[in-house]
Amino acid sequence: MSIAAERPQLPFARPNVLDLAPLYDVLRREAPIARVTTPTGDPAWLVTRYEEVRDLLGDKRFGRSHPEPDKAARLSTAAILDGPTGNYETEEADHARMRRLLTPAFSAKRMNLLSGYMHELVDGYIDQLLAEHAASPDGVVDLHAGLAFPLPVAVICRLLGAPESDREYFSGLSERMSNLAIGEDAHQAFAEFSQYMIGLVEAKRAQPGEDVISDLVRAQSADAEFDYFEMVKLCVGLLFAGHETTVNRIGLGTLFLLTHRDQWDALVADPDGRVNATVEEIMRLGAPGDLGLLRYAHVDVEVAGVTIQRGDAVVLSINAANRDAAVYSDAEAFNPDRPERAHLGFGHGGHFCIGASLARTELRVVFAALARRVPGLRLVKRVEDLEVRTTITGGVTELPVTW
Amino acid sequence: MSVEEDVVKVIVDQDRCVGSGQCALTADDVFDQRDDDGTVVLLDAAPPAERLADVRQAAVMCPALAITVEE
Repeated sequence: MSIAAERPQLPFARPNVLDLAPLYDVLRREAPIARVTTPTGDPAWLVTRYEEVRDLLGDKRFGRSHPEPDKAARLSTAAILDGPTGNYETEEADHARMRRLLTPAFSAKRMNLLSGYMHELVDGYIDQLLAEHAASPDGVVDLHAGLAFPLPVAVICRLLGAPESDREYFSGLSERMSNLAIGEDAHQAFAEFSQYMIGLVEAKRAQPGEDVISDLVRAQSADAEFDYFEMVKLCVGLLFAGHETTVNRIGLGTLFLLTHRDQWDALVADPDGRVNATVEEIMRLGAPGDLGLLRYAHVDVEVAGVTIQRGDAVVLSINAANRDAAVYSDAEAFNPDRPERAHLGFGHGGHFCIGASLARTELRVVFAALARRVPGLRLVKRVEDLEVRTTITGGVTELPVTW
Repeated sequence: MSVEEDVVKVIVDQDRCVGSGQCALTADDVFDQRDDDGTVVLLDAAPPAERLADVRQAAVMCPALAITVEE
């Protein structure tokens, strides 16, 4: 029986947090647009080659809304990437408005202005880790709790104008929203997060600040087309993303570097010269989560020999596309010096990650500072022994290191 | 290698641009973003040879394929 007829069910078991399920390689070669079954038991198409993933990400015949949402295939029980979002009739206009509102706040210039603040934060966290290391009997410290988690959270709180003192509360909510293994509780977490956000939004309305939530409150009250709850949802999404993306990427990057000692040593020898390429390779090869980006066909589309029908769910596997041997030489190798410079780690096209400049800036600051200040850094557990979170966004729960 | 090989022309397509700013992040002496909507602004259509690596990287990173580097 062919793979296409088997409808394999997502997620495919992976050997560890750094490597992908071998089935992706088979699918890329034999069924690059394959019929699969989602974790919730629904039918979907899984796209695994770079070319089609990139093309479909930029293809306006696909959207995140569904013509008949009640009939849409679902991807998961989490509160994000679970099913259709937005209004089918107005999706494009709604999305354009959201981008217009957010783009200035996340521009390269703004991120460059923030980089000094990021440097200060990172230096402070590393000072703290050095002190913990000196005081610890076994010399082991947790880089996740001490750096990977607090940095992105502090920065997104400052950008959005959210109180960092509430971080344990909304990091718990983010974790539950993204969790694939807790059923309805993920949506309960989203409801709680929305309730919290309404409180924050109303506080900003009464006393606006120089921050993104204040900007969104102002824009929403001036635009009759901009639904109040959509704005709240957007604020939740931004704060959520600040917790669930770069945190994991710092973890994955640390693991790649510390399990490829030659690459770590090369970075230590020339942090400023090598950090950008290193970060790009971490963005390419790091594979958080086991699903992909979800789209619905808005019309029938012929692609790579298959017909995707209007309303069909399509899962675009960024993880698989970024390891396509048709595009990358020695595609599974962690090699910042590779000649191929493009990847889909932040997506592509109109939905390209709004936080890409933010994430790139944070990751560059983090890995250059670590290489400079803790050159002897090493992992004290095997990658296989690290706990991987059962969330949409994946990642590890700890990074036990010493030096 | 002839001198001509280092002469390039950079072209940006503002209609395709999605305002991601990855070009301005990579080569802020060659690309900028409009303050109101983030759309690309070309600062230097003929950047010097020592900037070409970053300019090419910016073109590769563009999620809208809105940057062309003509050799």
